[in-house]
Amino acid sequence: MNLAPSDRRHLGFTLIELLVALGIFLVITGAAFTLLDSSQKHYQSESQVLTSFQEARLALDQIVRDVNDAGYPPPTFASTDPTQFASTPFAWSPNYPGTPCQIGTGAGGTCGTPGDFDLIIETNPNPKDPSCAPCPVQWIRYQLQLPPLVQVPTLMRGMAPKFGNNPSGAFTGANALVPFVQNVVNSPAQPIFSYTCDTSTPPQSPPLPCTIATTADKSPANIRDVIVTLIVAAPVPDITTGQPRVVQLIGRGRRVNPNQ
Amino acid sequence: MLISIFILLLISVVAIALVVASGTESSLAGNYRSSTGVYYAAVAGLEEVRARLRPQDPNSFKNTDSGFLPAGGAPLASCSPVYVINPVGGETVAPWDPASTYPDTEFNQEFAGICTLPNPSPRAFSIWNRAPLNGLPFPGPLYKWVRINGVSEKSLNLDVGPAYDNFKDLTPVYYDGALNNANSGKQVLEVTALAVLPNGSQKILQYLVAPVPITLPPFLAALTLSGSQNGTDAAFHAPANNSVYAVKGDGDQDCNGNPLPSKVAIGIYGPYQGVGNLNNAVNSVKSGIPSFPPSTAAQSNYTGQGAWPDVEHLTLPFQTPSQLDAIVQTIVQSADVVITPGSATSPTPYTSYAPDLHAAVTTAGMSSSYPVSAVVNGNLDVSDWGAGGYGYAPGYGLLLVTGTFTYDPDTNWNGIVLVIGQGAVGNTQHGGSNVINGAVFVAKTRDASGLLPDLGGASVMFDALMQGNGIRYNSCWIQKSQPTSSYQILSFHEISQ
Repeated sequence: MNLAPSDRRHLGFTLIELLVALGIFLVITGAAFTLLDSSQKHYQSESQVLTSFQEARLALDQIVRDVNDAGYPPPTFASTDPTQFASTPFAWSPNYPGTPCQIGTGAGGTCGTPGDFDLIIETNPNPKDPSCAPCPVQWIRYQLQLPPLVQVPTLMRGMAPKFGNNPSGAFTGANALVPFVQNVVNSPAQPIFSYTCDTSTPPQSPPLPCTIATTADKSPANIRDVIVTLIVAAPVPDITTGQPRVVQLIGRGRRVNPNQ
Repeated sequence: MLISIFILLLISVVAIALVVASGTESSLAGNYRSSTGVYYAAVAGLEEVRARLRPQDPNSFKNTDSGFLPAGGAPLASCSPVYVINPVGGETVAPWDPASTYPDTEFNQEFAGICTLPNPSPRAFSIWNRAPLNGLPFPGPLYKWVRINGVSEKSLNLDVGPAYDNFKDLTPVYYDGALNNANSGKQVLEVTALAVLPNGSQKILQYLVAPVPITLPPFLAALTLSGSQNGTDAAFHAPANNSVYAVKGDGDQDCNGNPLPSKVAIGIYGPYQGVGNLNNAVNSVKSGIPSFPPSTAAQSNYTGQGAWPDVEHLTLPFQTPSQLDAIVQTIVQSADVVITPGSATSPTPYTSYAPDLHAAVTTAGMSSSYPVSAVVNGNLDVSDWGAGGYGYAPGYGLLLVTGTFTYDPDTNWNGIVLVIGQGAVGNTQHGGSNVINGAVFVAKTRDASGLLPDLGGASVMFDALMQGNGIRYNSCWIQKSQPTSSYQILSFHEISQ
């Protein structure tokens, strides 16, 4: 039967045509959704990295600011009340405020704090706050805690009013350390805190890394710079490689206040 | 068609995600850069002011903006702050105006209940707004203003010594090794800087600063003379015909007129071993004090801690020539005036004269309220300084002579006289009835060959006809004449905003 050309337009598609079209459609949409899914995962992964990056950056800013302010007000403000001035820019343990310990790295040195992953800053962050008069000097502590103390390696931060002779024991109860940066993956070979110490012997030289300074110089009271290296991992590894995604930030805080 | 639109949509989503991600990252990095940049901009302001507070600085306020700070070292009142402003590109910086772009809101917080910010307050321009730096094709540090003011216990919200009475008063705070409100030492100044970047980042940083005194040998005697076991003994020869010439370590008073313990009249110091050698050195000086008629009247003019003539051995630090030489170098670096004989102001080689010194210290602004530090790197002859000669008024401050010091009894000097180097004092003129109020320290550390291995014997040799009234120990003038090197940072603090 021959159909007139006008009738041929109303015949529709054959089954084969439909199947081919459907197949092509499925392939294309499948590819598109795969691409979309991949993009979404990448986006989430990047977001998490950025979140980690932002947390680390804020943390670094805060640490550097605290270090810059360390030792305020200094001992030359001499009060009879030791809670009103910083005896030293950086508190130490053991023997605070007696003979300072020796700063080391790894298992070296005699300091419990300051160390590679522990730092106690002595300062008055807001001396003119009208809501607390007189506002006492605070101990501000940064300490890396590892599982099982915490779920993931976490840099903790806390503030405690300066009181007594045991700064490392002051962070309990209401002054307990709280999580500051999570997923900190610094290794012993990559300490969070490293230090330079002033040199006391003339001629006055630039500060040296405390670990190579003289015995007399490598004292917590003598710290000039705190170099902060924060390596933070995103909560989820890279979707393609499976490797942890990390950001590494390096900053330097310089103590300006005199130490005596 | 539909598929194309769908794919385009997907690509757009991915592209937007990437743009957002990179934008966030840039923003974070930018924030950190801003934070660091604004911090150092504020520090630049603080450091500029700290440097310009030193009168010896070429850009000191004393040189560039006379009258900006109280004259003569008078204290700067807490409620009368002054500002260094650093406008960029024609902007207006008026921190005293609450309606301005960069108001100083911090002042009213610190001085709440004490005073309000004077409007307007005195101001000076930063070095970046002055020639030659204002001609640079790039802007300087982006701090907007730096405030300088005195502080009190109340403004610091801190109880300072010596009373520690838990009462925060409004008395200016001073620094003498510790903060105090007993007018001891130098005034503490608060320096506050605001920096603002074009993106809006801003920071306020604050120093407390005070001038640091240069460490000098302690003045335990009205006249101190060096000598040593391996060098030579000190030599002293008083004007033998002058019955009123006196060296007195007693009668000392502080600046408020309160009596202070007596000091030694003439002290001998240096590395001696054995009592015998010390006694010989002391007796050698005593022998230079005349005992002409009536009897021992002249010797009774040398009074202090011990029986007259009070000549004693002193135990002092700085026992080597190199230690004293280091002090000399420190003083030279921070002196108001350094005269090198043989220069244009001293045409005769090797010796400076009274007009040279007078011209230099007058230019430096010397007055009783502004004692200066003057160094003569060589010989100094002050003959004809006072009445009967040039008629110059008294000198005030620290005078360091590294060569021979030729004194004239018509010279009146209030402060510290150091003759360290050749360690020789003499005279050529005779007339006059003036006195040195403060302390005189003479040490021989050098000869023609250079620095000596051991302290040499200082020499103070006046001829018999010299008049004058001698030396009177005076703690007040010693304190006022204490030279300072720089403004030390007593504290640093970032102010939360």
